[in-house]
Amino acid sequence: MTLPNITLADFLPLLPALIMVVGASILLLSEVFLSSSASRGYQAVLTVATAVASGLTALGLMFEPPHAVFLGYGVLDPFSSFLTLVVCVGLALAALASVSFLRKRGAERGEFYALMLFASAGMSLLAMSAEFITLFVNLEVLSVATYALTAYLRRGTRPSEAGFKYFILGAFSSAVLLYGTALLYGATGTTKLADMAGPLSQALATAPALVYTGAILVAAGFAFKVAAVPFHMWTPDVYEGAPTPVTALMSAGVKAAAFAAMVRVFLTVGKGMDPHMPLALFSTLALLTMVVGNLLAIPQRNVKRMLAYSSIAHAGYLLLGVAALFVTAPGEHFRILGASALTGGTPLDVARSDALRGILYYLLAYTFSAVGAFALVSALERREDEDKGTAWDLERFSGLAQRRPGWAFAMTAFMLSLGGIPPTIGFMSKLLIFQSAIDVGLVGLTIVAVLSSAAGVYYYLRVVVYMFMRPVPEGAQTLERSWGTEVALVISTVAVVLLGIIPGRVSEWLAHAGTLFGQ
Amino acid sequence: MITPLAPYLPLAVVLLLAGLMAMAIPQLTTRLGPKRPSAIKSSPFEAGSESSGPARQRFAVKFYVVALLFIVFDVEAVFLYPWAVNFQALGWFGYVEMLVFAATLIVGLIYVWKKGALDWES
Repeated sequence: MTLPNITLADFLPLLPALIMVVGASILLLSEVFLSSSASRGYQAVLTVATAVASGLTALGLMFEPPHAVFLGYGVLDPFSSFLTLVVCVGLALAALASVSFLRKRGAERGEFYALMLFASAGMSLLAMSAEFITLFVNLEVLSVATYALTAYLRRGTRPSEAGFKYFILGAFSSAVLLYGTALLYGATGTTKLADMAGPLSQALATAPALVYTGAILVAAGFAFKVAAVPFHMWTPDVYEGAPTPVTALMSAGVKAAAFAAMVRVFLTVGKGMDPHMPLALFSTLALLTMVVGNLLAIPQRNVKRMLAYSSIAHAGYLLLGVAALFVTAPGEHFRILGASALTGGTPLDVARSDALRGILYYLLAYTFSAVGAFALVSALERREDEDKGTAWDLERFSGLAQRRPGWAFAMTAFMLSLGGIPPTIGFMSKLLIFQSAIDVGLVGLTIVAVLSSAAGVYYYLRVVVYMFMRPVPEGAQTLERSWGTEVALVISTVAVVLLGIIPGRVSEWLAHAGTLFGQ
Repeated sequence: MITPLAPYLPLAVVLLLAGLMAMAIPQLTTRLGPKRPSAIKSSPFEAGSESSGPARQRFAVKFYVVALLFIVFDVEAVFLYPWAVNFQALGWFGYVEMLVFAATLIVGLIYVWKKGALDWES
């Protein structure tokens, strides 16, 4: 019997996920052994410590040379390590926001944080998956944990509705993804991404319908997870109904991990395909997602729902970056939306590598801004309004600048960053993506992106108007402070502003992270 | 490389025949068989004893927990068998791997135990 050649070095890339799983196990055990309900503050601290340890490990791994691990079932490259870092940032901030959220509802449990950690471990592993079965298992690890987290506050009607919707549609999208995988496997005889490209180009000659149907189904499965139009219907309801810190983790982590997997799958497998196909696919998705997401966000008075639609719109900008990855030659792309020549004289491979960096930086920027915004939303909401749906009304933000100037400043920073206004991280990241899209020649699509992003400023700034220009409403409840929320807000605000002005070390990491294994 | 599906044709025929049979036989028995219903015959059959109520009842959630735990440890046992057969070949590496796998499940077992999921009476 010959054994597959797996050494200890193969386990090194698993370290960030392993730390999170160990942290989750400790939380589960401590929950049952130290069940005094008085002292549960340690759980969030432990979660944050685990996230920090895991993130630092990922940072260390970023400087390892890209290589395949576990016989090509996974890869370790700076791209996946940077993504793990993004996930850890989102996890730490969401855990900090959970402290007062759970305490107000008497729902502090180790299981909540353990599920968050399990989900994040799944995200980290998803970014490293280089084989369809591994990818699917990791996608389920993160999905099942988030389904449970969505319905965590099971007494309310909204969380159970959200959990149910998320579960049904999530299971459906997983099935679609799996079906696409099966078709691609049928066409190539392998599930390893790296081995697929060769047989795929042969299969394309004999059975193009099989390959294209498979690729489209796989893309649709991912589009559900990243909430791209027309697969976005679940997003507002689920984001609104889920506990706010969970929404934060979903909007940051789940989206980031799904984007990473989608980029890896299509860049690796796409080499065997006609590049027009992924380009047309992602351009269409990007166009629809940007326009529809922004238009639907405009009428929302419910801030949590507005942020859900805004998260759809941001998926659209990210998809623009993804589309830019698939332009292979100047003048050879989607005619309706692209210009016909390369502009600026940047070589194509440089522009594509910039697009990859742009996607990663955008994910980091969105994590800081959106998780910060959700943390503030959770600080303002009242338990008793939740079932009525007024807990997140714009009115709740009225006069916040007088009551809590610090919070109002933080929220302003997040809104400016989400709207893409300098000097914030949101502006820098949008600039990176739009710049690379123009460099490869997707001018038409970039113009749509800029216009729809300008429309987005309206609903972001409306929150700022309410905070600074409206009087404090009569009988407004006192706003409680909590150390967790304060720390989360301070960290996100500092990051949003500082990284927008001096990216410093982060841009060095980013310059490094633009390499995808095998590209 | 496209896997030719032609060798699977007999299998498809068998599947089709099985489906047709499954549909035809109940139809034939209901149409051809004699029917002499009586009150006792048309009452729900419960292993010969008097029926004691509707079948749709609320189940205690602990059945669900026990079923779930059964699946988990059943699957663990399934994995243990091939491991035990190849124990020599897998060596220390395989031994440690299996310990890690078992330890993960034991953490889960301790958790549900302490949580009271195995306590049937309460």
